[in-house]
Amino acid sequence: MAEAGSHEGDTNVRLRRTAIILAAGALVLGACTGDDDDEAGPTTDPPADDGGDAGDAGDDGGGEENGTEGGETLAAVQEAGVVRCGTRDELPGFAVLEAGEHVGFDADFCRVIAAAVLGDAEAVEFVDLETDDRFTALQSGEVDVLVRNTTWTATRDGAEGATFLQPNFYDGQGMMVAADSGLESLEDLAGLVVCVAGGTTTEGNVATEFTRLGLDVPEVLPFDSPELLQVAFQEDRCDGWSSDLSQLSGFRSSYPDGPESLVIFEDAFSKEPLAPAVRDGDTQWAQVVNWAIMSTIQAEEYGLTSANVEEELAGTDDPGIRQFLGEAGEDAVLDPGLGLPTDFALQVVLQVGSYGEIYEEHITPLGLERGLNSIWSDGGLLYAIPYR
Amino acid sequence: MTTARTGRPPLWRDVRVLRVAFQVAVLGIIALVLGTLVGNVQANSERLGIPTGFEYLDNPAQFPIPDSEFRPTQPVRDALVEGLANTLRVVVLGIVMATVLGVLVGIGRLSGNWLVRTAARVYVEILRNIPVFVLIVFAYFALALTAFPAISEAWEPLGLAVFSNRGVVVPWVDGGIAPLVVGGVVATVLAFGLSRWRTAVADRTGAPAHTVRFAVPAVVLVMVAAWLLSGLALSVPDREASSVSGGIRMTPEYFAIFFGLVVYTASHIAEIVRGSIQAVDRGQVEAASALALSGSQRLRYIVLPQSFRIAVPPIGNQYLNLSKNSTLGTAVGYFELARVTSISVGNGAPAVPSYLLLLGIFLVLSLTLSFGVNVVNRRLALVER
Repeated sequence: MAEAGSHEGDTNVRLRRTAIILAAGALVLGACTGDDDDEAGPTTDPPADDGGDAGDAGDDGGGEENGTEGGETLAAVQEAGVVRCGTRDELPGFAVLEAGEHVGFDADFCRVIAAAVLGDAEAVEFVDLETDDRFTALQSGEVDVLVRNTTWTATRDGAEGATFLQPNFYDGQGMMVAADSGLESLEDLAGLVVCVAGGTTTEGNVATEFTRLGLDVPEVLPFDSPELLQVAFQEDRCDGWSSDLSQLSGFRSSYPDGPESLVIFEDAFSKEPLAPAVRDGDTQWAQVVNWAIMSTIQAEEYGLTSANVEEELAGTDDPGIRQFLGEAGEDAVLDPGLGLPTDFALQVVLQVGSYGEIYEEHITPLGLERGLNSIWSDGGLLYAIPYR
Repeated sequence: MTTARTGRPPLWRDVRVLRVAFQVAVLGIIALVLGTLVGNVQANSERLGIPTGFEYLDNPAQFPIPDSEFRPTQPVRDALVEGLANTLRVVVLGIVMATVLGVLVGIGRLSGNWLVRTAARVYVEILRNIPVFVLIVFAYFALALTAFPAISEAWEPLGLAVFSNRGVVVPWVDGGIAPLVVGGVVATVLAFGLSRWRTAVADRTGAPAHTVRFAVPAVVLVMVAAWLLSGLALSVPDREASSVSGGIRMTPEYFAIFFGLVVYTASHIAEIVRGSIQAVDRGQVEAASALALSGSQRLRYIVLPQSFRIAVPPIGNQYLNLSKNSTLGTAVGYFELARVTSISVGNGAPAVPSYLLLLGIFLVLSLTLSFGVNVVNRRLALVER
């Protein structure tokens, strides 16, 4: 009995001590929050600005931009002298690592942005991102721009804190099967198994399309990496491989058993506008990236290429071309106030190329026709906004 | 009492004050850091227009979940429930199987038979020294996908089951498992009752208890009765080209994560079991031998009950590890909770609340498991008189 009593006493002492500590902790907490309020006013920016905390976070992360107003990304990029571009290292045609260099369509658009903003197409820091973490990287300021084969959708526009810009590729989802499988159309895949890349818009599209067609929805099996998906497909875990047509062409071109062992169904069953994205809230940076992309389309409309641009510039009398390239001769140079150097388009075309050049270098080898990705006068969707 | 005369030291040197002050300071720093982090998350999310609440749970998920009735138009909430069910499917069955296998191998490690002893030892030494992630990926690509035949050449023993690298389909009762669950509960209760009754009889009269001889037929009888009552319908898998209908299916993805977790965790449990058997006082075994108990009787009545007392807390840890490692299912495309979370984030759900929720659910899961282990532990603990 005596033992039990002393034990109880112990507990009481401990309880009381805990209570004291908790109370003291609460006091300190209260004091801290109070301090915060007091200091935020006079020491940092003028009041009514939630930038105080945001600025702190930026400082912790190494003095990056984290602004509430426009212009901070551009300033930070100019100061750093490098554009951090979120991309990919294993997407044939769009961005693959070859001898330590990022090569591909998306990689070149990163270079376009760097050439436009900094005048140096090589001033790019490529950040390889998985599908799951791409928006987080953009939100957190780890990358300045995302050029990563990303479909523009309402949910992503609204909920991911991203602003999508001029699509640089109009894609559509397609279906690929083994040539010897005997499958000839989507109907044949009803109730079978389709492999897709996880965390993408393709997963939902398959179900939507088969439901629309009134067919048995196939089992959709998503994989985190294209390598795993390819192994599973080779082992016959799935009958179909569904993805954007451009990606399917890329995977087919590098398929171990040879491209002829795979068949891609001709029709696309979804709209996949692949567009670069920047963080919400910085309009100036969004405009800068938008016009950098646009300049490649404008260059193709003018018939400019990296090979002929200097010659054309010297020989042309077209004031539109001269203004576009920032070489007015005796006349006034147009500076539309985008925050870009006046010769940004010249640098883009000279160092990287026109849209057509980039397409032919990276996408044509995959066996993809230009189709929707022709300029408007050729029946495509590419339509440069006038530069004037 | 003699030193009390010297009076109290000044506050800054008073141990009692310092102790409290130090703890308050630590608490304060932690609160400050957490407060700043939470504040930053909120401020940054607000600035970017990213929702910080849990309203996203009502948005359509926009992705399907294989091997389920889930439709992409259902809300994220339902997808998470489906993911949790898949996690539990791996964790609960995995814990049972890992325990059975682990105990067998652990006892085998101490067997007098050279072959059994060595086989158990090789098993433990190989499996506990491979990262579980590698084991799971290996189980998927090397076993589930490659060692099983393609669906076109599926192996169909007696036309009763279908083995292929798209899963193993075996016959299953038609029309819900509710009668079987009820039957299982009744059978378990009955078996417990019978064994208690037999033990009581044995204690009173000294006759052999024969609990197994009574319990097993009872269980079989009840289960057969439940099955008969459920309508006797058996759904046998039927393969037509690439699609299989009927039966119940184990997908290769489930097989990989389940197999990987079970054999890995079992190797650790085996070592715990071996250690705790060896920790039982040698005198106990000798005394049992002196009472002419046979080898299996010694194990069953003397050694194992005492060693379980030692083994329960560390085995509980292994259960926790298994439940947390189930998130590795993501590597082989198994839709457990973590994968559903990451895919829903890829489809527009906000990252911070999504992962907070995942964190919370796993915390609850782990704490529940710990609680269960603690209850068992308390019941087994030596009652000191």
